[in-house]
Amino acid sequence: MINKNQAIRILNSGLKTGADYAEIYIEEKDTFSVTIENGKVESSGIRHSYGAGIRLLNKLQSVYGHTNEVNEKSLTKLIENLSASFNEKQCLKIDNLTTKKAKNLSTVKQSFSNTEDNNIIEYLKKGEKVLREYDKRVVRTQASLSYSITKVQIASTKGTNFLDYKERGRCGLMCVAADQGKIETGFEGPGSSSGFEYFLNNIDIEKLAKRTASKTIMMLEAKECPSGKMPVIIGNGFGGTLFHEACGHPLEASSVSKNLSVFSGKIGQQIASPILSAIDDGTIANEWGSNNIDDEGNKTEKTLLIENGILRDYLIDDFNGRRMGRKGNGASRRQSYKYEPTSRMSNTYICAGKSTPEEIIKATKFGLYAKSLEGGQVNPVTGEFNFGCSEAYLIRDGKICEPVRGASVIGTGQDILMKIDMIGNDLKLAQGMCGAASGFIPVDVGQPTIRVSEMTVGGNGGEIK
Amino acid sequence: MKLNEKKFFELAKLNDLQGADLTASESSSLSVSLFHGEIDSFTNNSSYELVARGIYKGKMGAVSVDNVDKDSPDYLVKEIIRSASIIESNDPVFIFKGSEKYHKKRVGNNADFSENIQKKVGILKKIEQKLLAYDKRINEVISVGYDSSSHVYRKTNSYGLKLSQKMSTYAYIAQVSAKQGDEIRTGFHVFVSYDENEFNIDEFVKKVAEDALEKLGSVQCKSKKYPVVLNPECVATLLSFLISSLDAEEVQKHTSLLEGKLNQEVLSKKLTVIENPLTKNIFFRYFDDEGVATEKKYLFKKGVVSTYLYTLQTAAIDNVNPTGNGYGSGTKAKADVGFIEVKGGKKSEEEMISSIKEGVYLTELQGLHSGVNAQSGNFSLQCAGFMIRDGKKAEPLALITVADNLINVFRNIKCVANNNKLVISNQMSCPSIYVGKLSIGGK
Repeated sequence: MINKNQAIRILNSGLKTGADYAEIYIEEKDTFSVTIENGKVESSGIRHSYGAGIRLLNKLQSVYGHTNEVNEKSLTKLIENLSASFNEKQCLKIDNLTTKKAKNLSTVKQSFSNTEDNNIIEYLKKGEKVLREYDKRVVRTQASLSYSITKVQIASTKGTNFLDYKERGRCGLMCVAADQGKIETGFEGPGSSSGFEYFLNNIDIEKLAKRTASKTIMMLEAKECPSGKMPVIIGNGFGGTLFHEACGHPLEASSVSKNLSVFSGKIGQQIASPILSAIDDGTIANEWGSNNIDDEGNKTEKTLLIENGILRDYLIDDFNGRRMGRKGNGASRRQSYKYEPTSRMSNTYICAGKSTPEEIIKATKFGLYAKSLEGGQVNPVTGEFNFGCSEAYLIRDGKICEPVRGASVIGTGQDILMKIDMIGNDLKLAQGMCGAASGFIPVDVGQPTIRVSEMTVGGNGGEIK
Repeated sequence: MKLNEKKFFELAKLNDLQGADLTASESSSLSVSLFHGEIDSFTNNSSYELVARGIYKGKMGAVSVDNVDKDSPDYLVKEIIRSASIIESNDPVFIFKGSEKYHKKRVGNNADFSENIQKKVGILKKIEQKLLAYDKRINEVISVGYDSSSHVYRKTNSYGLKLSQKMSTYAYIAQVSAKQGDEIRTGFHVFVSYDENEFNIDEFVKKVAEDALEKLGSVQCKSKKYPVVLNPECVATLLSFLISSLDAEEVQKHTSLLEGKLNQEVLSKKLTVIENPLTKNIFFRYFDDEGVATEKKYLFKKGVVSTYLYTLQTAAIDNVNPTGNGYGSGTKAKADVGFIEVKGGKKSEEEMISSIKEGVYLTELQGLHSGVNAQSGNFSLQCAGFMIRDGKKAEPLALITVADNLINVFRNIKCVANNNKLVISNQMSCPSIYVGKLSIGGK
């Protein structure tokens, strides 16, 4: 890290050619990971990363560079190189920076820095044993945990010199089962912005392992999913991938500000079913996708995106906000100092509705119950998205029937949002990694159980019978 | 600052490491992109990555950093010992003494593509103008950019092995949207090369624009099994998952669908796939991350599984020679491949399609990170393409799905075309392939 006076001198060096904003982002990150396989520690990974990214803005132009030499001389050289992109009169100079420690939204009771590697290994071994011994058809199992401890400094011409500290940990349970030439893989990966106490107190790894293994075996026995159009009930928690892909990405200012999103210019308009409200909340204590401040040094916020089907707001970073005449709302994020920040999601979810999950299933004559989803993908310009199902069943006459595997679901966000006709009261969040222009970042997706009246389902099980 | 390598290896020996190696990767890149004729983003980056590994009490330890100082040798050795000390697996580990022969070649001219950036901005402006003028339905140039990067990769170890490789490349990237009524479609193309003379602006513009325009008027077809032709991009995408099943570790741990299939004909006789990392192109690699010389070899020869892909560890377990496929930066290398070539057939793509009365020609596969299970070979993916009617490409298709199994797809090949194309994202040269009937989900 650099001191306040060094930061002031560096920032001023970058302002001489007309930049109207300058920012230094310094990040020091220690990561550790360990994987158990077949009852033994199979691999481990240790990484130390330290570097700085500098950004200069001039109206709607951005210049960015990063370096791993974090000292005044190197950073001054970098900022001067970047400032050569502009050729205007100096319009800004800063005299002082106020140093602020970002308010910690998350409490860390047992820091990973004080946790013995062996304590983590012991914890993981319990889960891996349950996976391995669950069924003779289980052929390979892994239990892993990775954590990061990150210190960040963001000094900018907004006049602040923020210092931030965060810890995150995520464990992964992977189970592969095989039988008669069929192979299925199951995975669960809970995580949190906490220390090791989150796992000890909140994640019963043996129970989670049993659930993972049981799901894998069930999917091994499942039939191929039929393809065609049908009602789709999407389970709570990871089901939120639907909203993340279909609506979350197209609400990011990176595409909205350039009028490139299907939702550009639609504030105040009905874009979803009147029963749907949705929120992005980067302030939830200890949640995986939360942050004390965003990566431009703005406070993270709870943003109401959709209220009763009406579009209320976007996810905005300061730079893209310039095209929209708006300031950032705490949504600027990046994977590391090697990435220029942009608007991204944090913990994004559909709000709870009134129906019970049982009522939703009972009200469906035939359809797909996508209980758990895998990752998805979206083209924000066309709104076309897809996601895969890791656990799915067919619904017949209001009852959950046979499990089906290999189901993928596709649609366009603007169409699907209007077709959500039932929303459950069982809101739950789930943790994942989201990849986009500013790299891979931890996010939560979430929703209660919901029903979409019609979607295109893909599978290899032939036509619907 | 550079790492004091001599000190690192001395400390490693002093701390009872039975061998150690360093893999350093230095890169610098410069990129610029335009939006509406103005520079929207300009980045100038320098990166450094160092992986240090060592064997301590018979176990491999590893640590990676992106920054070094005078204390780094001590830190690296200490963390290697920490990492190795928790490993319990008894699998054999190696710091490689070196291959008998390395096929080092001079590839590219190491030009500095970051020079004359103003000239590149001029080219980008021209590309943007030409894209907008190409067809009145092109309604937006979403992005147009230029990237140059220079990469130096070095490997040294305690046995005195010293290997290095350098490559400089440049790339043009553009994305547009085309509009017809309420329908919007996007088109994209990336051109990468190490030869400045290879870039042709008009060809590039045509590829980007046509990629969007040809999708206008897209419909969904009826859900059923259709004869399917995969274009080179789709072949490369699906084949890369099948190739991952050749990883010897997956085979040894019973999670590969190619387990027990070595030297057996499991795919169509029409399919021959060669890995040749020594091909003179932007993917050239003459040693893998473990320091083993790479080599040209058949992966599938006329449908027969010709080899598994070995790291030093998995080769020792199977008592065979490593194949130069050890990649990765942790305590355990993973098998991966370099440049791949799929042998083309005799017929042109048009001739191949002409025999299909009603079918689907696929040009895009989406949702790969969740829709393909490489271990079972099952896939279910969003896709797009064209109907084939009476032997010719007809109306475009969008928002459809394709589902089947990788082995089935490549076992039931009807015809391989002669239109090999370089698919940058998969490091492959592939032709279009008529793969027989697959489940398509639509209306």
